[in-house]
Amino acid sequence: MDSAKQADESKKGHEKPRSAKDRFGGAIFVVGSLLVALVAEFLLPRLIEDSSVRNILMTICCNAVVALSLNVINGMAGQFSIGHAGFMALGAYTAALIVSAMHTSFGGGTLPPTSFDHDYLVAFGHSFAIVPVALLAGALVAALFGLLVGLPSLRLRGDYLAIVTLGFAEILRLSVATTRLGNDETVGEAVHAIGGPNGFFGPVFHVGSVFLSSLGGKKGYSGPDGAGVPLYAGPFWVIFITALVALVAWRLKFSGWGRALRALREDEIASEAVGVDPTRYKVTSFVISAFGGGLAGALYAIMRDGNPVVQPDSFTFQTSFDAITMVIIGGSGSVTGAILGAVFVTVTVKLIELVQHADVVQNLSSSLEAHGFSLDLNALRMMIYAGVIIALMVLRPEGVFGEREPFFKKRMRTREGAPA
Amino acid sequence: MSALLELASVTKYFGGLCAVSDVSLAIKKNAIFGLIGPNGAGKTTVFNLITGVYKTDKGTIRLGATDLLPLRPSAIARAGIARTFQNIRLFGQLSVLENLLVAGELTKKAGIFSAVMRSRHHHADEDLHLAEARSLLEVFELGDKADDASTSLSYGNQRKLEIARAMMLKPKVLLLDEPAAGMNYGEAEGLKKQIRWLRDTFDLTVVLVEHNMQVVMGVCDEIQVLDHGEPIAYGTPEQIRTDEKVLAAYLGDESLAMGQGTDVPAVELPVKDPNAPEAHS
Ligand SMILES: Nc1ncnc2c1ncn2[C@@H]1O[C@H](COP(=O)(O)OP(=O)(O)O)[C@@H](O)[C@H]1O
Ligand SMILES: [Mg+2]
Repeated sequence: MDSAKQADESKKGHEKPRSAKDRFGGAIFVVGSLLVALVAEFLLPRLIEDSSVRNILMTICCNAVVALSLNVINGMAGQFSIGHAGFMALGAYTAALIVSAMHTSFGGGTLPPTSFDHDYLVAFGHSFAIVPVALLAGALVAALFGLLVGLPSLRLRGDYLAIVTLGFAEILRLSVATTRLGNDETVGEAVHAIGGPNGFFGPVFHVGSVFLSSLGGKKGYSGPDGAGVPLYAGPFWVIFITALVALVAWRLKFSGWGRALRALREDEIASEAVGVDPTRYKVTSFVISAFGGGLAGALYAIMRDGNPVVQPDSFTFQTSFDAITMVIIGGSGSVTGAILGAVFVTVTVKLIELVQHADVVQNLSSSLEAHGFSLDLNALRMMIYAGVIIALMVLRPEGVFGEREPFFKKRMRTREGAPA
Repeated sequence: MSALLELASVTKYFGGLCAVSDVSLAIKKNAIFGLIGPNGAGKTTVFNLITGVYKTDKGTIRLGATDLLPLRPSAIARAGIARTFQNIRLFGQLSVLENLLVAGELTKKAGIFSAVMRSRHHHADEDLHLAEARSLLEVFELGDKADDASTSLSYGNQRKLEIARAMMLKPKVLLLDEPAAGMNYGEAEGLKKQIRWLRDTFDLTVVLVEHNMQVVMGVCDEIQVLDHGEPIAYGTPEQIRTDEKVLAAYLGDESLAMGQGTDVPAVELPVKDPNAPEAHS
């Protein structure tokens, strides 16, 4: 049979010419999003004067990063992580600390509003030093914790990851929210249990609790002088980073690595039999996912028009659950789906907030309170999610898009490439 | 010549049940080695022990000079052992071609960073594997189904796809677990040719678990028979065909005799009910 010869020939001639789209697609996408982001940086404050509307747009971007990163471990690898908020918190606090420190070293003060004047351009220039460092540090810290959490729990089959990630996120949040110096009994007890303040672990504990208590506890961290974290990441950074994350998520999915991950999700025994080491692939994808979660949290913490205080309450189980909802609604494993899910969830949350703060509702709420009732429309959100998820379970159990990428028809085939 | 794949006194218990009891095999390079026995004899378990899916309780398993026992399944695949599964295990959501490409991961040079940067190495890997996968699909006459969902294939084609996927690893040893199950006479004849051709072309050693005697007697150089986990006979197809212990184990001799002529339709051996209570003493 001549197929053997065929196989030989294919080995020699494997350097195929590729199309311009294949070769430059990625570069064009990056340059394109750079331009769009740059235009948005200067135009957005003029086009949209209401900062709460700008906030929604920016939050959508951050949440897209949240969903895209969680999609790697939950959707592509099929491992259930329910503590994504923990990694976001790590990224957020790290970035907030770094931005504050760098801002101080650049002279401090309040950030000027967007315009073409000298002050703003200087601040924008500084952001090119500050933002990348802060984002990268936040993401790396989260990735490191991802490795620590993932390595022991992903070696085991089953649902350990879910339990461990949930516990991890809550421990982290509560440590930040509750550690206080001096009169804190929990820390004091722990120090004594390990050998007292003079034992080996005493100083370690002391330094740890000094650090944790400097994060502002439940009220949150609001910069070195309490004036708020300087929000350096304007539309330029938020949009550009989101676009980069989408590109990376896309390329990860459509790579041999992504394929192996999907295979692992389909059949672990069969993928081992073809040489895919489950632990290695799962841990890598978990670390990547944590990296992305940290990046999203960091972006969130230093996003302009966002909250200048990083609070533990922004990273509760609710946040992790929202992230899971984004991935499930869009379709586990779909990059496009994750973005769609992020848009849906963000808009839902913000709409409910708007309604909650509307005069009618406020009046109703206060008159109800007089009778001993309370009105929290946040509960609506659960009803909406539940409704949408149940409807999906009936109509499209695999999410809106399943694993597919609806606007890129041929992509699921094997001839892969970069978007744009 | 010493054996390429060597099992020495391999034993495996499942709770109180001894699924594989003191089995020793010495499989020579380029052999097509048959491993047969009634259902529940422990054949699949032997494969699972070789590939590291189960841990061996006693004995040793070596591939050449490599001790396979401490290796994880993925490392055993890397060492050169590929397999198919009795109850087909394909990657359902992946296309036919993608099923093969997953097996290419093992030999790729570019890492994950390369993939994100879409570096030259990444493309070189992908193109190489794509070409290899396509030519393997041609070999197994699945070329026109490359982009179909793997679950949409017929039973026989799914089995062929599993073999193709295993061959993508460029293995030294190929373990086939009942590849002819569900195949008709013509397909089984084709399979025989394919097994021989694979052995000759890729310098392969094949271990074949099969109930279809038309295939077993037609291609195997040597055969080991298991019953209740114990080795009961070893020899050439001719010797096995007339071995009394083997005939007794299969509860009747007709079906074995029927495998002699190639023009006789494929006949499955009478099968013991695997769920029947084992004779415990
Ligand atoms: N994972 C397992 N747990 C418990 N018993 C098993 C397991 N796998 C196989 N067995 C038992 O081991 C014996 C041998 O099974 P198997 O190797 O599948 O036989 P064969 O492939 O020869 O039909 C059977 O009695 C089977 O029930
Ligand atoms: Mg079997």
